[in-house]
Amino acid sequence: MERSKQKQMNQNENETEAPINGHFDGRAKVPGWSAGGAAGTPSTVPSSSVMESWREERTRSLEDNEMSLPSIAAAYTTILRGLGEDPQRQGLLKTPWRAATAMQFFTKGYQEKIIDVLNDAIFDEDHDEMVIVKDIDMFSMCEHHLVPIFGRVHIGYLPNKRVLGLSKLARIVEIYSRRLQVQERLTKQIAVAITEALQPAGVGVVIEATHMCMVMRGVQKMNSKTVTSTMLGVFREDPKTRDEFLSLIRS
Amino acid sequence: MEYQKAAELNSMGKGKIVTEYLCRNGFSELTVDSKKVSVQHKNDTSRKETEEESPLPALEAAYTTILRGLGENTDRQGLLKTPLRAAKAMQFLTKGYHETIYDVLNDAIFDENHEELVIVKDIDMFSLCEHHLVPFFGKVHIGYLPSKKVVGLSKLARIVEIYSRRLQVQERLTKQIAMAISEALQPVGVAVVIEAAHMCMVMRGVQKMNSRTVTSAMLGVFREDPKAREEFLALTKGAQ
Repeated sequence: MERSKQKQMNQNENETEAPINGHFDGRAKVPGWSAGGAAGTPSTVPSSSVMESWREERTRSLEDNEMSLPSIAAAYTTILRGLGEDPQRQGLLKTPWRAATAMQFFTKGYQEKIIDVLNDAIFDEDHDEMVIVKDIDMFSMCEHHLVPIFGRVHIGYLPNKRVLGLSKLARIVEIYSRRLQVQERLTKQIAVAITEALQPAGVGVVIEATHMCMVMRGVQKMNSKTVTSTMLGVFREDPKTRDEFLSLIRS
Repeated sequence: MEYQKAAELNSMGKGKIVTEYLCRNGFSELTVDSKKVSVQHKNDTSRKETEEESPLPALEAAYTTILRGLGENTDRQGLLKTPLRAAKAMQFLTKGYHETIYDVLNDAIFDENHEELVIVKDIDMFSLCEHHLVPFFGKVHIGYLPSKKVVGLSKLARIVEIYSRRLQVQERLTKQIAMAISEALQPVGVAVVIEAAHMCMVMRGVQKMNSRTVTSAMLGVFREDPKAREEFLALTKGAQ
């Protein structure tokens, strides 16, 4: 299949770059979103690997959301009971539904495709200086504890005749962050999506975030922040470019 | 009693009935009326005692359902143990249901001839919104005017922990902290101010990043005397 061939090519090209993480150990199974059911039998579809983000299929639709809402709400009712609360008291009566809808909102990135968001806003400009959009607020969910992560994303790229609408960078951040994520993977996915879309000379993405799983529980370190970065293309090879980017986002 | 009513709102459900009484010592305690534990005094209702009825498997199954419902692949490496971790995290974030004020305070009340304002401020607080099950967090400032009895300072922070590690509404949390101190020490006055950011407003819904909610509870002299209240507010605002 053309898709798997391309995937193999991509993996070969970027063997050194793309770590095998939980998202694509071989061909990962994704629940099949047929018209029938929410948690249908898993069917083998090409995984939305980091390198294929540009071409990925939408994994969830609004109808799927509606269909799975009752089961998620029921699960939340079980959780409330399991924690020892009384789901019938006034403050908690509608909580399962609210929590289920909130959780669907926090994972709405699964419903969106990069290609929808970007397709129109790529322009031919004769600009080859660095473009930076910084301090993009980011909210994600830790995939290990289902607890929020929030922070800021700084994106810079060196265009190669093609520039992107600025808000589209923020939209790319939204699509990938509104998922169950690991900060390292999020950083990489954003960088790769921009690379695939624009073929720029280089891309740099820095994320600085606070993980509630470390702040609210576990080690409980209030002020700790996690910083991850991905440098592709000329940002990786040329230290001066990287320095310029890093000092501009700090200023 | 106003306090008791607020307490009943936080009471636990069918399997274990927890009600808050005003015991003869004048401060509240949580008691668990379950099959395993029949004592009414200061024992704590730790989860270990009810291990046989552990709700953890049910919580795990619920989280697995949620993950599938959201469209995720529960067999992928990153999510394999997530139901268990999320269930334990949720239990930790609601551990306040199983702790009693009595345990925390019983030893640390001292007779001191001190009648000036005592403030403990910038106590980090993390709680869960009971409407969306999403965190809200912020700082708590507590002040009280002792009447011959002072309390160990960390105990104020522990009271905050007990009440905040629950499914809460910020207004109720503020009041519960104030009432607990009031019942324990019978001070001349108690003031509690909480300033928090609600993730349910920041991450979803209206999505206002910088909004903060401030609630306060003023009891005793802090309610009646505006000068005392001003002094408290001035001291807690300085050098935030």
